[in-house]
Parts: sequence; C-alpha cells; structure tokens
Amino acid sequence: MKKQKPRVAFFDFASCEGCQLQIANLEEAVIDVTKLVDIVSFREVMKEHSDDYDIAVVEGSIMRPMDEERLKKIRENAKILVALGACACTGCVQRMVNQWPVEESITTVYNKDEALKDNPYFANFETKALDEVVPVDAYVPGCPIDRDEFCKVLVALLLGKKSPVPDYPVCVECKKKENVCLFELGKVCMGPVARAGCGAICPTHGAECEACRGYVTHPEEDAQTDVLTKYGISAEQIMQRKSMFTYRYIEEKAKQEVEE
Amino acid sequence: MNTKSKRDANHENPLRIASKKDFMALVDSLIEDGSLEVHGVKSKGTKFVFGLLESSDELRLDYDVTVIPPKKYFLPQDESMMHFDTSQPFSVQANEDIPKRVIIGVHPYDIVAIKQMDTYYTDSFVDDLYVKRRKNTLLVGAHVARVSEKAFFGDMGTGMVDSGFDLMLTDLKDVIALEVGTTAGADLISSLKTRDATPEEVEKIRKAVEKAAAEARRGLKTPPDQWSHLLQGNYDNPVWKTQSEKCLSCGTCTSVCPTCFCYDVNDKMHLDMKTGSRIRTWDGCMLRSFTRVGSGEIFREKRIDRYRHRFYRKGEYLPARLNFVACVGCGRCSTQCIPDIADPVTLINMVTDSSQTLKPPVPHAASPVTVEGQVPDDTGPGLYIPCPATIKRAVQLSEWEKLFELELDDGSALDHEPGQFVEVSIMGYGEAPISVSSAPGTKSFELAVRKVGDVTSRLHALNPGDKVGIRGPFGTGFGVEELKGKNLLVIAGGIGIIPARSLINYVLDHRKDFGELTILYGCKKPCELLFGDEVQAWDKREDVAHLRSVDSCPEGECWEGEVGLITCLIPLATFDPKNTIAIVVGPPVMYKFVIRDLMGRGMPEENIIVSLERRMKCGVGKCGHCQINGVYVCKEGPVFRYSQIKNSPEAFT
Ligand SMILES: Cc1cc2nc3c(=O)[nH]c(=O)nc-3n(C[C@H](O)[C@H](O)[C@H](O)COP(=O)(O)OP(=O)(O)OC[C@H]3O[C@@H](n4cnc5c(N)ncnc54)[C@H](O)[C@@H]3O)c2cc1C
Ligand code: SF4
Ligand code: SF4
Ligand code: SF4
Ligand code: SF4
Ligand code: SF4
Ligand code: FES
Repeated sequence: MKKQKPRVAFFDFASCEGCQLQIANLEEAVIDVTKLVDIVSFREVMKEHSDDYDIAVVEGSIMRPMDEERLKKIRENAKILVALGACACTGCVQRMVNQWPVEESITTVYNKDEALKDNPYFANFETKALDEVVPVDAYVPGCPIDRDEFCKVLVALLLGKKSPVPDYPVCVECKKKENVCLFELGKVCMGPVARAGCGAICPTHGAECEACRGYVTHPEEDAQTDVLTKYGISAEQIMQRKSMFTYRYIEEKAKQEVEE
Repeated sequence: MNTKSKRDANHENPLRIASKKDFMALVDSLIEDGSLEVHGVKSKGTKFVFGLLESSDELRLDYDVTVIPPKKYFLPQDESMMHFDTSQPFSVQANEDIPKRVIIGVHPYDIVAIKQMDTYYTDSFVDDLYVKRRKNTLLVGAHVARVSEKAFFGDMGTGMVDSGFDLMLTDLKDVIALEVGTTAGADLISSLKTRDATPEEVEKIRKAVEKAAAEARRGLKTPPDQWSHLLQGNYDNPVWKTQSEKCLSCGTCTSVCPTCFCYDVNDKMHLDMKTGSRIRTWDGCMLRSFTRVGSGEIFREKRIDRYRHRFYRKGEYLPARLNFVACVGCGRCSTQCIPDIADPVTLINMVTDSSQTLKPPVPHAASPVTVEGQVPDDTGPGLYIPCPATIKRAVQLSEWEKLFELELDDGSALDHEPGQFVEVSIMGYGEAPISVSSAPGTKSFELAVRKVGDVTSRLHALNPGDKVGIRGPFGTGFGVEELKGKNLLVIAGGIGIIPARSLINYVLDHRKDFGELTILYGCKKPCELLFGDEVQAWDKREDVAHLRSVDSCPEGECWEGEVGLITCLIPLATFDPKNTIAIVVGPPVMYKFVIRDLMGRGMPEENIIVSLERRMKCGVGKCGHCQINGVYVCKEGPVFRYSQIKNSPEAFT
C-alpha cells in the first residue's frame, strides 16, 4: 500500500510574495519536495486550489479583520500551520505602521477617500504576525526566507523533529564565514541580536544586518545599546533601526512594561 | 631558535636558505601538481584569512593575524562525521573524505594552539576524526613579520616554537629561511635549491623573532603560569559582573579563538528523507543555548557565568587538566569583540589590580605553559560511530516514560557498571545520553526513557525489532565494589529512579554482599511513579526498607505513601548516618535540599554520592557541553562523591 503524501497548500496575506517566489524558485530541490508532499494549492505556480490539505504554509501578515477570519479558517483546515517569512513571523516592515494610530495611517495612505470608507478591503487595523491570531506550529523566518532553511523546516516537520532554526546570533555564522566585522569597518550591524540561519548573508556581502529574521530568544539589548551608542548612533537612530524589521519586539516590550 | 642543537643532532643542517623566487615557484608547482590542496594566508579586504591558494601570488607571509585561526582545518566549522541511510535497518559510514593538505604561513602562536588541540583531542579518548585531519595536513609555519595591534604572544611566550611544524619559514626579504621540523617537511622541499644558512642569517632570524615577541607585549601583569593561581582566588571578584554586563553573548570570542574547541552535533536528513549526515559544528560557551537541555533549563543562564567560564577554562581548568594555558596571545578575541571586553590582557590586569587574595606577582620572563601534542598513529575504531543494537522489548511505564530492552547486534554484553550511561543514536534524529537502568550480568540491557525532544520522541515510536545505535557505556558508575559491605540509602527523585534502579537491582541480585538497603523514592504525582511492580515488591521484602512520596496527589488518584517533597522522607527513614552511604539521584533542584537534610542528620559529606545531569553531546570529554566548572560530567561523572564536587560553584545551583 502506498503511503499517502501529506498535502500542502500555500496562502498569502499582506506581503510582497517574495517568500513564495523563493519556493517557486527552489530549482532542483522542487522535484525532491514534490516527491515528499503533494502541493494542492499554490497561487504563484498553479491554478488549481483545494481546501483539503494537511500543511498550510502561510505568507504575509494580518492587517484587516477579514484576513483574521480567513486565517482562522485555514487554521481549522490544517493539521500543521507554517508561518513563512518575516511578514508572517513578526509582521515585517509593514509593522512599522503600528507606530501611528490606525485612523491616522488610513487617512494618510488612502487620503480620506470616502468611497473606501466601508470597503472591507481597506478596513485596516494594526499589523499582526500570524501567531498573534492563531497558533503556529513552525516558523521559517527572514525577508525573504532562505530556501535551504525552508527545506530543513519541511524535513523536520515530516520527521516530527523540533524546529531546526537556530537560536544563536548571526555573528556566529558571520565568524564561521571569516568575515571582517562591519563594526571594524565603521558600519553598524544588528548581527549580535539577530537570529542566525541565513548564513550571515548580508554581512558576507558587506551589507549591515537588519535582523530581518527577528531576534534570538534572549537578545542582549542593553549591551547592544551600549555598543551602538559607543559607535555614535543616537537613541533615535537606534529606535529607527529597530523599527524596521523588529518593531514587534518594541511593541511587546512596551506591553510588558505596562503590565509590570 | 633551537637550530644549534638540531644541527648537532641531524647531520644535515635543518636551517636552509632558498631564494624567494624559487620558493614561490615551489608553491606554484605544488598547486599545479594537485596531489595536495595548497592553503595559505591571503588577504580579505583589509584583513587576512587562511584559504585555498590559486597561485603563490596570493600568499601573504607579511600578514599580522587571520580573522579565524587554522583550527578550521582540524575542526571545520561544519564537519560531516558520518553518513547514514535510514532505508536500511542500520547503515552508518564514517566520513572518509578528508583531503590531504599543506597549510602555509601558520604563525608560531597558532602552532602552539594546534599542539594544545592535539593534546585535548587525544586525551583519554582519541578523536579519530581530528587525528585523521591532522595526519593529512602538513604545517608550514611562518615567523611573525608584522605584529597585530592587540597581539600579546610576547607576554604569553608563544612567539616561537621548536616543534609542531613540518617547516618553519622566515621571510628575509630576498631569501627565505626554512627550518626543517620533520622528514615530511624535508621531503616537501627536496626539489628546492637550498643552501646552509650563514651565521649572519641565523642571527637575523633570531633578532626578527625577538623583535616580534617584544612588540607583542602589552603589559600583562600576571604571567600565564600564574593565571591559575590568580583566578582561583578571584571567582567572586566584581570584575566578572561589571564586564559581563557589556557582553552581547555573540560567541565571537570563542569562534575566533584558536584554543576554543567546543562543538555541537546535529543530524541532517536530506530531502530524500532516507540519507543524511551527522554534522558537528562549532559551538561555544558564550552562547546562551550552549547548556540548554530538553526541559528548557539552561545551566549557565546568566551572562556572568558564561563570561567567567571562558576565562576560567583558559586560565584554570585546562591548565589543571592538561598543563597548558589555553590562550596563546593571538589577540583575535581582543580585536573582534565589539564591546571590547574579551581581551585577556585587560581582564587579567583588572583582576590582578583588584585581587584581594593575591598580591600581583612580580612579572618574570614569560614561559610557555604548553605540553607536547602527540598525534597517535593508531586511532582505533571510530570514536563516534555507534554500534547497532536491536530493541527486544518495549513497555510503556507511564504517560511519558517507556522501557526498552536492547541487545547489541554483535552479541556482546554491554558490560556496564550501575550508574553509567550510553549514547543512544537514531540516525536522522540525533544522539541522547541515557542511563542504563538494568543491573549488569545479562546479555541484554534496559533503558527507561522520558519523551522530551527529538531523539527520545522518536525512540518512543520504535518497536521491537527496530534498531538504534549505541555508544558506551560511558562515565563513572556508583562504584559497587566500594559499596560492598556498606549500608545503603538510595534517594531517587523523578526519573532519578532510572539510574538508581541499576544499583538497586544489582544490590538485590547480590543481597548478602551489602548491608542495609533503604530506598526513598519521590515523584510529582502518583501517575508518575515508575516501575510500580518492582516498587511493590520492595514493600514486601524484609531486607529492604522503602518509603515513597509524591509532591501532591490530585483528586481521583490514590496514593499509599507520604505527600510532600522528597525531603519529607529523610526524617522518617531509619539509618545510621555515620555508617551509611547515601546515593542521591534526581532533578537538579533536589540536591541542595536533600544534601542539607542528610548532613543535618549527621551524615559526613564523604558518605554522600550524587549523580548529576548536564547537557551532553559527545559523552567522551570533547564537545564541552557537560562541564561543571572544570569538571566533565560525561567523563568524571555523572556519579560523584559529594566531597569531590562540593567546591565547584556550578554544581548545585
Ligand atoms: C548522564 C545522563 C543520563 C541520563 N539518563 C536518562 C535516562 O535514563 N532516561 C531519560 O529519559 N533521560 C535521561 N537523561 C536525559 C536525556 O539525556 C535527555 O532527556 C535527552 O538527551 C533529550 O534528548 P532529545 O533529543 O529527545 O531532546 P532535545 O531537546 O531534542 O535535545 C537535543 C539534544 O540536546 C542534548 N540534551 C537535551 N537534553 C539533555 C539532558 N537533559 N541531558 C543531556 N543532554 C541533553 C542531547 O544531546 C539531545 O540529543 C540523561 C541525561 C544525562 C546527562
Ligand atoms: S518576508 Fe519579505 S520577502 Fe517574504 S513576503 Fe514578506 S516582504 Fe516579501
Ligand atoms: S558583521 Fe555583524 S554579524 Fe558579523 S560579526 Fe560583526 S556584528 Fe556580527
Ligand atoms: S544577515 Fe540579518 S538582515 Fe541579512 S538575512 Fe540574515 S538576519 Fe536578515
Ligand atoms: S565577550 Fe565579546 S565577543 Fe565574547 S560573547 Fe561577549 S560580546 Fe561577544
Ligand atoms: S583567548 Fe583571545 S588572545 Fe587568547 S588565544 Fe583565544 S582568541 Fe587568542
Ligand atoms: S564533553 Fe561532550 S558530553 Fe561531556
């Protein structure tokens, strides 16, 4: 008897679809992946769609009440829900909008267009990551995701193993790659608090890490602030940097402080 | 420079001179020939790295220091240890893909570090993976031509070496001096046109080495051979706290250090879901995840503990164990730590200045505290290759624990001592240390396993007939020979009963060899009690005293025993504290309280034996995860005399 392959469906919310594109571009690995699972829904590469799936791979963040409803339905249908990419894992750059009151953003962005007022497609609320709405079983962080890591997460899920996403800083991978630290070159890097797994791809190419993969479990933010200050970065600039990909942590910290 | 004595010993002068052009041509011909991978120092941006040479033009003998040390050739950042194929019942193959290499331009301090690594990786268990890489590599050293700003090998006495290299180069502008260290080194340059060095040239080399060493002094106030003494008296020096508060826990200082050798091991399954490799990867004690176990507990959770550990390992633990200071003064950590708190000179000087227990010793000529690294020829069978074993029986013990009876496929008995553990492998999932729960004396052995993570969950899904890998037995046992004739008080909390059972059953098998046997067994809830039938049987025996407790008894469950923490049983038990040996096994939180109460009843500390748990990966004293201060739990433990470990501040936290 042939064992049935797990059925996988892809979904997207507010995102640039870049992460799905990474998967569509898996190249040789695509064949291996399709040997492991049946892809029953993937808007970027196929027309068919099915609501009968085991694993839902969800890209994008939740920005409207109607998204929330749709995500809850997906959760009900899926045995396993995977958050794909920074949008889904943390809220990515669109979370920056949470710095301002929702009303204000809507007004600014849509220019008080009365016609849009009752249109649910424009009924934004604050940006949320998937796990702020439904439980998430696995995360593939990054903007965009790392293709190898997506495959690793998939294999781990199928084997019943824990997440293979590391919980140490990008600096570890950066040193393994023998990079000259960007701080030594007068640049500023979020590597010491950012979660590794990308192979320190940005510093390897001379670009500052922006922590697109989110933080490690216990980022040493006090020491990081000391360092950034030492390198002449003002408190405001630090905040700006942290608002880019990691505004979620700023919100969570603020919430925690209120609770305390 | 030890050339004189060498010249007397060898008929041929070991110090050769070649023209630079000829030497570079030799490097090019080696590259062309292709029978060896030719690696050397090249530039990378403003810095230098070791890497594959495409032409001798790339070789930079004038470098100051490389970003990471040549340890990557012997302990690669990511190294495949073995390959497996899970479509077979049990198929594991050692990684034989170990290239032959020559590495050109290794500075003396890095050679000292490699010698230290040789010692470490061959101490008591020989790491065949390491040795194979080491044996396949020729080391061509180079004296330091340019000293990096933070280097302090002059202070550490590691600016020159008289062994550990196949060749040692000195760049004398137009010519290159080559000191022959081994016959392999001599063979490498056999085709090179060389002549004897003139006395002037010998003098030039000596001066160059001395100049570099003098430049590489940064005013270290306590010489390396006294670091151990200094650190011993300064465990609670406030410096650790103030400095560690600036630490990013980024792991850079351990990654770039030539004398940090800790590693992690993870299984990588390919997308075919059948084949894969077991990979070892650099890890380091500065990372928070280094000591995290399946339950989520982190043994070195605070930054101060991690920060201090790194220095103690370098300055006290390794010197005590292997007689070398595990810092060679390369200055890599000093340069690359972003908050600039990793530099050993600064730290040692801060401790020296603020030390209350030790006057700063008078600085004296630095002496290299190193031992001769030996790389044995015979490495034996692979240290990390597990032996196949077959599950004979599997019994669910409770919601989370399952018992497995196993037999090694080669038909041999495990031959363990009660208290020892094995490393259980499931290819694709990993390896986990598990205590042997049965008494020795039978062909099969038993493991009782709580389901917590990757390996243990997979093990729970296996059935009789399935195969797992076994390495071991490892570690110390309870020492049954020494316990013979003594009264025993076994105190087991939670799954501590699993290793304790191997001792209890051994005593019951040889009942008349031992004195009184008292067993105190505590668990959280009645449903978590393991080995219920055996526990009932203890109740019935005249020659066993037994008390048990649960922390609490939820409504609806019934319980015949005490309710309270396990310590509530100690006042209830009858034993003569002076003439009884207590064996304590349980979760980390339990020890402090049990030991306090035992001593409160007048038990001398030499009578207390404990079995401790820490994160483990290798089981053989290499990966570094299980350390309690300088003690390796996998090797010196898990069973300890309390008196042996009580002064380790990390033991009972
Ligand atoms: C000497 C010793 C004896 C032990 N005996 C038993 C026993 O008889 N029965 C039992 O159920 N458990 C025992 N443990 C605990 C057991 O080793 C862990 O529960 C197990 O390693 C978890 O592995 P995992 O892959 O399922 O979990 P994961 O969380 O996926 O762990 C990944 C890896 O981390 C390491 N690790 C995680 N937790 C521990 C831990 N607690 N101790 C050491 N290494 C860890 C292992 O290498 C493990 O493979 C013992 C631990 C030690 C140190
Ligand atoms: S995480 Fe980045 S790449 Fe991926 S969908 Fe979001 S914006 Fe696009
Ligand atoms: S460049 Fe960034 S990631 Fe790399 S070591 Fe420096 S801080 Fe860390
Ligand atoms: S280096 Fe930083 S920004 Fe770049 S991919 Fe990795 S986590 Fe994201
Ligand atoms: S001491 Fe420096 S290099 Fe080491 S972990 Fe801390 S911040 Fe990183
Ligand atoms: S501790 Fe620092 S200076 Fe010493 S050997 Fe390691 S990296 Fe070099
Ligand atoms: S050193 Fe690896 S487990 Fe002890």
